[in-house]
Amino acid sequence: MAHDSAGGDTPIAITAVTKTFGNVRALDGVSLTVGRGETFGLIGPNGSGKTTLIRLLLGLGRPSGGTVRVLGRIMPNRSVAPQIGYMTQSSALYNELSARDNLAFFATLYGLHGKALARRLDETLTLVDLQERADAPVATYSGGMRQRVSLAAALVHEPQLLFLDEPTVGIDPELRQIFWDYFAQLNTRGVTIVVSTHILDEAARCHRLALLRFGKLLAVDSPDGLRRESGEENFDRAFRYFAQRTAPAGAAG
Amino acid sequence: MAIRRVSALALRIVRQFAHDRRTLGLVFVVPLLVMTILNFVLNSSTSGLTLGIVPPDGPVGDALVSQIKAELVGQGSLTVRTVARSDVDAALKDGADGVLVLPPQIGAGATVALRLEGSNPAAAQQLKGLVAQLVAGLPQQSGAGGNAVPAPPSGAAALNVSYLYGGPEYTQTDALAPLFIGLFAFFFVFLLTSVSFLRERSQGTIERLMVSPLSKSELVLGYVFGFTLFALVQSLLILLFVVYVLRVHYAGNLGLIFLVTLALTIGGVNLGIFISAFARNELQVVQFIPLLLVPQALLAGLFFPVQTLPVVLKQVAYIMPLTYANFALKDVMLKGFGLDQIWPYLAVLVGFAALMIVAAAVSLRQERV
Repeated sequence: MAHDSAGGDTPIAITAVTKTFGNVRALDGVSLTVGRGETFGLIGPNGSGKTTLIRLLLGLGRPSGGTVRVLGRIMPNRSVAPQIGYMTQSSALYNELSARDNLAFFATLYGLHGKALARRLDETLTLVDLQERADAPVATYSGGMRQRVSLAAALVHEPQLLFLDEPTVGIDPELRQIFWDYFAQLNTRGVTIVVSTHILDEAARCHRLALLRFGKLLAVDSPDGLRRESGEENFDRAFRYFAQRTAPAGAAG
Repeated sequence: MAIRRVSALALRIVRQFAHDRRTLGLVFVVPLLVMTILNFVLNSSTSGLTLGIVPPDGPVGDALVSQIKAELVGQGSLTVRTVARSDVDAALKDGADGVLVLPPQIGAGATVALRLEGSNPAAAQQLKGLVAQLVAGLPQQSGAGGNAVPAPPSGAAALNVSYLYGGPEYTQTDALAPLFIGLFAFFFVFLLTSVSFLRERSQGTIERLMVSPLSKSELVLGYVFGFTLFALVQSLLILLFVVYVLRVHYAGNLGLIFLVTLALTIGGVNLGIFISAFARNELQVVQFIPLLLVPQALLAGLFFPVQTLPVVLKQVAYIMPLTYANFALKDVMLKGFGLDQIWPYLAVLVGFAALMIVAAAVSLRQERV
């Protein structure tokens, strides 16, 4: 497919990216790459720059320094939009509309129509287990149901690159497992996932993790690699270990 | 530019409002309610209209007067009385709202005159309308009598209207219908767009749109189409209501009214998008109403004719889009003017719409950073 040749095996390559808002450095010299079919986790406290990084990757803003390359294009660049799915922190849905109408609207923006649209609506609604309530207005949904619709909206056009900003907030553990099983399935189909999370159980299921603090990259490694290097089983403690090392990890591999 | 994406957006807006009964009521029923109230307020003073008639000389005159009286039965509480030819102004000062002066001899070249009291524009206007209808209807009835009133080219043309006080510019009853079509279209479209766009921002859906292949021009177009549809349905509804229920006099071309409303609406939608960038919540949008809408409602000719405003206010009125919409709608609806006559007003509205599109696009440009 065209996007594969464009992105190669590194759909995401960030080089020395800095982003400032006034006097605040939201991101400070961040460099990293994400491979195709990888689930890449962003971990860090609130204000560490996770959301800023995801927004730059989405093309919602321009880096103050450095380059953000997504699927071979320097961002912001609209041409990669069709390959990208985005699940926002808030559920970001039209409350007056039903789940089906919300999904149909977003899918149509990505060019789906007719039978393909109907098929994808059924598939995604089944995936998030919302077939029965699909035609009720989203305003009547619980927080967890809204998150499910939100995920479905990010997936409905079958993107090659999926950005999830704290996707399982407010979702019960059982459904969270179903989500992550599905993410793994997407990885085997070559879909790359970038996910920010607070939940340690989720961090453990990522292929690699980036630890962020005050806009700086502390470390990038596999969950096992981070545990080994810090000598800590628990990610909270591992995080503290890397935070206390004076020199930031800088460019990682 | 993909039509499918634009229409998806327009359709989504329509769907959202289809689920929102309260807003639908606001858009479609409230204007009719307001027009009805206005109609009562303006016409309450016209109950008990008195029309004097100066009959032609001789028995023909008596016959004609009784015929006219029969004709006017069922026109509300209109009282008809006979007035001597020399007492026209005295009758007006004595409580008659108007006097229909028929020529002494009915025959070719004779003109029919209507002298109006004039201090009550609503009464004058209503009486004028009634008499115009009456005069237009006369030839057929008196045609049976052989040598009758000459057939006028059109009802009002043969009628020579004069005023005791004031003049034709006092007649505002009919003028209100076109003005309110403009005001309602602009007001509701502005309010609904800015609130919907604000929600788009506050609930985060704008980010999904920005990340999707939807371009900014498609976003603006989708909004314009979605809301224009509402504004057009609304103005059609108001128009039909005032013409068929409130029985307001209406002369113009429906297509041209839509064209003017369309230009005004596109300006309103984009003003809404632009303004929503300066508001954090619905209340703050409402706070813009006194700044942006009330001056237009006051100065654009709704309550006081623009020509009669003090110079400074007149200049303010001439920078307001609603003023031009009112001029255009008034000319079309009341005078039956065509595109060749109202195009300068329409051009101003199109210019305003273009300016607002640029403003909206600039405010959207900041969205990405």
